[in-house]
Amino acid sequence: MAKIKILNYEIASAQGDKEATTQAIKNGAIKSSSKIVSMQDEAMKIPYFTLPQSVEDEFDAIYEAMKKVVEKTIVNLSSEQKARTALLLGTSLVDDNLVKAVEHTIYDYKKTPYSSSKRSIDSLCRDMADELGLNSFTMTISTACTSSVNALLEAKNLLECELFEYVLVVGLEISSVMMSSGFASMKLLSQESQKPFDKSRDGLVLGEAIAAVLVGEGESLWSIAGGYSNCNSVNITSVSASGEEYVDVMQKALLNSNLEAADIDILKAHATATPTNDLSEINAISKIFTNDICFTALKPYVGHTLGACGALEVAMLLSCVDAGFIPKTIGHSASIIPEYQPLLQERAYGGEKNFMLNYFGFGGNNTSLILQRNHQ
Amino acid sequence: MKLYVKAISSYRSDREDIDVKKELKSRYKLDTRRQDAFIHLAVLGAQRLRESAEIYENDELFLTSGVGNIDVIARTNIAVVENHQFIKPFDFINMLGNTTSYYVATSLGVKGKNIFDISDNFTYFNTLVLIYASLKSSNNEAVCGAIDLVSEYDEVFRRVMGVAQDIAVVSSVNYQKLSTKPEDAIAAVEFDTKSYTKEEIESLIAESGLKVYASMRCRDIDALQSKAFFETDASGWINSMIRDKESALYVESYNEKYKLLQVSML
Repeated sequence: MAKIKILNYEIASAQGDKEATTQAIKNGAIKSSSKIVSMQDEAMKIPYFTLPQSVEDEFDAIYEAMKKVVEKTIVNLSSEQKARTALLLGTSLVDDNLVKAVEHTIYDYKKTPYSSSKRSIDSLCRDMADELGLNSFTMTISTACTSSVNALLEAKNLLECELFEYVLVVGLEISSVMMSSGFASMKLLSQESQKPFDKSRDGLVLGEAIAAVLVGEGESLWSIAGGYSNCNSVNITSVSASGEEYVDVMQKALLNSNLEAADIDILKAHATATPTNDLSEINAISKIFTNDICFTALKPYVGHTLGACGALEVAMLLSCVDAGFIPKTIGHSASIIPEYQPLLQERAYGGEKNFMLNYFGFGGNNTSLILQRNHQ
Repeated sequence: MKLYVKAISSYRSDREDIDVKKELKSRYKLDTRRQDAFIHLAVLGAQRLRESAEIYENDELFLTSGVGNIDVIARTNIAVVENHQFIKPFDFINMLGNTTSYYVATSLGVKGKNIFDISDNFTYFNTLVLIYASLKSSNNEAVCGAIDLVSEYDEVFRRVMGVAQDIAVVSSVNYQKLSTKPEDAIAAVEFDTKSYTKEEIESLIAESGLKVYASMRCRDIDALQSKAFFETDASGWINSMIRDKESALYVESYNEKYKLLQVSML
């Protein structure tokens, strides 16, 4: 069976498009913004990585922003190839169609005459498939922070069964009052910045992003070696401090890829910079890898983009490596485990082949993806 | 594509008059705190499946729905948008689709893949496709659950599902234990990614000589239909055919495209 390749990828992040995001990472010129979360008598200003051009949390605006990224990603596909391209969306967005249906039903002052047309969160995909001539097979996967990386693993399965010629995976996250409020209520937000694996880490910074990854057979340096996804945690929001659940998913991803830990050259950590998640993750890393493992975190550049982070951080890592460097971890000064220090100085790409990318989410969803870059 | 069905379970609100939450506590001795009606419904179906199916720790769990958890969206919308209150942490958690999957997985003792998905284009059919592709790769078995909850805000359900205001809608949960291997299976389900025109589907039906059931979205097809609507109707009919030991066809329609699946008793 031919390897499933990553044929193209695009980004819309707080730093801009693919090229701008890569340059921002390279130059360390990171742009971030802030949002006000208003609750009762309290107005809380939180740091936030917003898209450069504001996108309202509303279906049509999200659709147009997503379309721009998708169009760039499939620009090289013919009409016939597009018709054989399935579309999978990974997001934790609250369905705007559902919110509107709720508002139009339950509030007297917003009530509208009854009308019905089937609209769900997946209408973003269905409408886009119709407009851009993609295959009508669309799915929206919602597994919190693992949504779009899980979509990528499902895409690999669909392609290996030869059900489609290509699958386009989109990760999408746009700021919403409900998500910001939810994270604030759980006291998971940093008031300043993300400090991955740092002793003084105090939480995550949310971010908006749209990223698309086109997979299929074809010419590309990048392929999906394998991966594993499971549901394994001690409760709905966290795993054990020892990180044994993360160890389990990483080991299974290695097994699925016919690799051993020593074969991994670069590890992209999930690294939310929350006190509990980072502790579990670095403990897991220390159980799988020797302390010379090169690991890095990407969220300080773009924020935690929740359901989008799977596709986004794949695209960011590939873009940096294709530009000749392994991105350093910013915001870190003193590691939770001193022997395990994330990459603090940018490193020139030196022909590394095996890349592990970790993603962990609420609901016990843990995913580890392994990508390979073949030498030119 | 063909998947083998090893066990099924069903519940429909118009056919059984039970308090789902009480049933979970009294019959299955489950903790129902911090959950809501959508999650309770999903867990009930899973517990019923477990009574007739062997569940393995590495089973893959796929849950799908027409719209997901309406109640929690309504509740949080009222709290946050209207009343400017802090969202309650467990309401926030329950807003995430995979929270339901987590509670189902936990109640079954399953630690395998766990996917919550929705499609506008034949959500149950497409979930079967994902399951088939996944099991071909992993050689595991899958638990497939299809959940639709109609609750206090039944108009919301109708609006989002795109059905007429006078159509009866019901809450429903249906599960199948699925495998790519025929051992110990009671039935097989065949399906594909292709959609058909009305003429093509009528021709396929005529050729098969099998009895035909159809979604309420297919009023123009000569077939037996449900008297009440829920989006994952296909999953309910599969279970119904299997309970009646009947090999038959099921047709679903959306936007003038038709899809077909065939259930064959083994």
